Amino acid sequence: MHDYEIKILEQIKGKKESSLEELEESTGVPRDGILWAIENLAEKNAVDVKRKPSVEIALTEEGKADTKAFPEERLVKSLASGPKRMNEIKDQVGLSWAKRNGWIIIDKGSAALTEEGKKVASGKIEYEAKAVLNGLASGKSDVADKLAREKKGIVEALAKRGVITLRERSAVSSITITKSGEKLLETASKETGVGALSKEAIVGQAWKKQGFKPYNINAPSETIYPARLHPIREFMNFIRQKWLEMGFIEVSGPIIDSAFWNFDALFSPQDHPTREMQDTFFLSNPKQLNVEDIEALENVKKMHTTGWGDIWREELAKSAVLRTHTTSVSAHYMRKLASAVNANFPLKLFSIGSVFRNESVDYKHLAELHQVDGIIVGDNLTLANLIASLKEFYGKLGMENVKFRPSYFPFTEPSLEAYYYDEEHGDSIELLGGGIIRKEITKAMGIDKTVLAWGGGIERPMLNSRIFGLDSILTPYKNNIGWLRTRGNLKV
Amino acid sequence: MAIVAFDIKDLEDMGYTAKKLEDIGPKMGIEIEEISEKEVKINVTPNRPDLLDFTGFLRALDNFTGENKPKEKHYSIKTEPVLSIKVMPEVKKVRPYIAGLVAQNLDLRGNKLKYLINFTNKFADTYGRKRRKIGMGVHRLSRIKGDLVYDAASEGTMTPLESKSKMKFSDIIKKNEKGQEYGYMFSGKKPLYPFISDSEKTLVLVPIVQCEESKTTEDTKDVFVEITGTSKKAVAEAANIVACAFIDLGAEVFPVTIEYPTGGAEITPLLNYKEIKVKLADADRTIGAPMGERDIIGLANKMGYVASQYGKSVLVYIPPYRVDVLNEQDIIEDIAISFGYDRITPIPVYGTANGLASEMAEDENKIATMMVGLGYMEAINSLLTNEKVNFENMSCKYDKSMYITLADSKTTNLSMIRTDLLPGLMQNLAGSMNERMPQRLFEIGRVFNMNGEKLVESVRLAFASEHSKANFAEAKSVVESFARFNGISNFKIKEQKNSAYIEGRCASLEVNGISVGVFGELHPRTILGFGLEEPVVGGEITVVKEIKYEV
Repeated sequence: MHDYEIKILEQIKGKKESSLEELEESTGVPRDGILWAIENLAEKNAVDVKRKPSVEIALTEEGKADTKAFPEERLVKSLASGPKRMNEIKDQVGLSWAKRNGWIIIDKGSAALTEEGKKVASGKIEYEAKAVLNGLASGKSDVADKLAREKKGIVEALAKRGVITLRERSAVSSITITKSGEKLLETASKETGVGALSKEAIVGQAWKKQGFKPYNINAPSETIYPARLHPIREFMNFIRQKWLEMGFIEVSGPIIDSAFWNFDALFSPQDHPTREMQDTFFLSNPKQLNVEDIEALENVKKMHTTGWGDIWREELAKSAVLRTHTTSVSAHYMRKLASAVNANFPLKLFSIGSVFRNESVDYKHLAELHQVDGIIVGDNLTLANLIASLKEFYGKLGMENVKFRPSYFPFTEPSLEAYYYDEEHGDSIELLGGGIIRKEITKAMGIDKTVLAWGGGIERPMLNSRIFGLDSILTPYKNNIGWLRTRGNLKV
Repeated sequence: MAIVAFDIKDLEDMGYTAKKLEDIGPKMGIEIEEISEKEVKINVTPNRPDLLDFTGFLRALDNFTGENKPKEKHYSIKTEPVLSIKVMPEVKKVRPYIAGLVAQNLDLRGNKLKYLINFTNKFADTYGRKRRKIGMGVHRLSRIKGDLVYDAASEGTMTPLESKSKMKFSDIIKKNEKGQEYGYMFSGKKPLYPFISDSEKTLVLVPIVQCEESKTTEDTKDVFVEITGTSKKAVAEAANIVACAFIDLGAEVFPVTIEYPTGGAEITPLLNYKEIKVKLADADRTIGAPMGERDIIGLANKMGYVASQYGKSVLVYIPPYRVDVLNEQDIIEDIAISFGYDRITPIPVYGTANGLASEMAEDENKIATMMVGLGYMEAINSLLTNEKVNFENMSCKYDKSMYITLADSKTTNLSMIRTDLLPGLMQNLAGSMNERMPQRLFEIGRVFNMNGEKLVESVRLAFASEHSKANFAEAKSVVESFARFNGISNFKIKEQKNSAYIEGRCASLEVNGISVGVFGELHPRTILGFGLEEPVVGGEITVVKEIKYEV
């Protein structure tokens, strides 16, 4: 028997009931040690243990919303009128659960209801997960306890998908010694062997004669969690490392910038809808940021008036904005390279950081996201070169099957979009946009070179199960400690 | 981006099944948004407004596939104008440009009228910037009496489309559905309303709604189209797109004379072909796939261009509906699309330079790793916040000139850029109340402050520890550990007053006599302010005082 066990038995002998707090104080043994010893004693029938509910359950914001209907229920209802093509189904959470529940089958890029799914859609079967969730939502602790015991699997699944949180609690409220416990204590005093190691026990070498008392290695131990870097940092570091391996230099630029560098230098017309307040965060303090580069100002003005045929206003270009893309950093660097005499071309640069969209924040949209942008500056660079670089990068992410299709951006010509065809869902995932920077722009920036450019979001690829399998782009930014403690690893 | 819907049946009749569209759409750079049993929705990029129209979309498909060989290769109109529009001086102040055209023997049966109206609406909403830059209307020619006048006045009357009685302009703006939607552009006390009238009536309140009398139906064969706007170039381009669509529908298109108050006159639409020379070497240097003159001519034809060889170049004629083509590189893109992006063989970029990480990013990583070693979990919060969280919950006095404010935000609780990191961590703790204690979080990130007129971007480290036994010494250990980790040995801990912390349990970290951080036990007022109940200790240290970018 372990020293702790003996200490506890000694303390509770002759007492009616002892609480954990009392034991902690009287034995001087730390809480986790006491719990461990009690489990050992309980197994030997040495003590009677009174237990409290072991988990406390709380509904998250999603959980509160789901008490009415889960996304998978909404999905099957929407399929009641007939199958839908996979690319029409936007709700990936609902899709994955409906599939897991066997409510839908996916065939040739279409989702259709199974017999079971039809029953759910028509309300003939009640969804057990929702019944459990509503039970938990009732706020009655006896109902919740019962569910936690009897519907353990479902409760755990609900916790895993972030609908509820489970708070682990000490299982023991009090203990009492039993008859056999008293006997054990009697014999224990005659038992030999070294209990807990201490300096005395080691140096005194009593173990040479007495040996060791064995411990119950199956007694439960405390669950502990490591502190970790944030998953967004981990993924950004991963991406940085891949571009660095490919010979790219990491650069950075202002997060708060003038519209000039964010839009005008990139040939975005001044009346373009994305430049309106509804999409871009303009600032009221400071309202404007000065553009000191007079030559660039003049060049860009000329580019706009000839290219778009509209009046170009310097006042608008000076508006202070939160950058809407990290391509603004590429614009700054193109300009910087105009005076870089000794640069070693082809020059490869990338930057990674926050970008902003004036979105109304909800479960699908965030106003701040992260992006990575890259450029290759040199002579005689082609679309074939750009495709090769992007293919190499995605190859490093395990996406060998990356494809390219035409696209449109005001600052590139030709433009392309890289996408990945997901065999399972019969759907393609957009990865990033890119192209060759328009000659008007390189000319206005003062460089006589070709610039290959691309940019894409950090969060969206993390939704992909082969990269991270994030359930929603909002989750990592809630910084919920429970989620951070139990989250999975990057899979790349 | 604009999404337009076409009936799948109309496309199937022309040989384009859902399967075929899903295959060729992406190859052409047209995103197929959705295909249902009834319709096809496509996502049109802002450079190709001609695809917003069914005729234009079909034309692009036909050119690309070589099917339904287009009847007309050269778009031209009749030479004799059939109508004239007189532009009055008043309207020059508010909406100066107008173009018109007349089409006869037009067939608008089936879905054609619906597509035409959808096109005019979508076009004016997107390319026309919610009708401010461009608006257009389609009228039944037979209902137009005499020549037209384009004018502006502070009031007038007409019978709006789908109405039975006459209304005043100002009432149309207030009460009519379209008036409410687009009336935003008439602000001010006495706005001038642009309108077009014939000898009998007001034909259209520009660019809001046209009159009931000139409404077109499926059986209308002869129409008059007016296009007005604030950009001469855009108005001319819109007229070209409409004229080409009518020609493709088999109609005869006649020009309209525009007479200006100064005495000058011009004919619209121009239907002009631009001529651009594409050098073989330029195409090769852009795409990276070798091709000859013959190849380029063939590829250009597939995209609807007329092309011919010209020495080592190809002379390309740009049809009038292609308003996006500015110069050679736009055509080269089309040649690449026509060639097929999937057929381009990747060629690695020559160059053996070594990669180089940003020092600032690496420094942040080092500090983050140290904090993880101390048992702190990393958090990443948004730079966007509000005054309540950033200042008030921290009992911090503030003044609008000290920080960055947003001019407008769709989300009401986002109004400023954070000046400190700690409030974010406090919010994170509040969102983790059901989780087991102790809870320790840190963040390393950017904050922004205004120093007079100057914007200052800094890098900070903040940490917070919440549990029943959290105390000042715990925070001090972290701060001192940070200092030693960064090789700072000459630091001092000085008493500090800060209303977010308990007085006498708050200190600053000083290096060379300058305070670089504050830490201590958070005041219960702060703890309760964030909705927390347990003791919290924490602090915030400046890592980089002012970021100076190398650009």
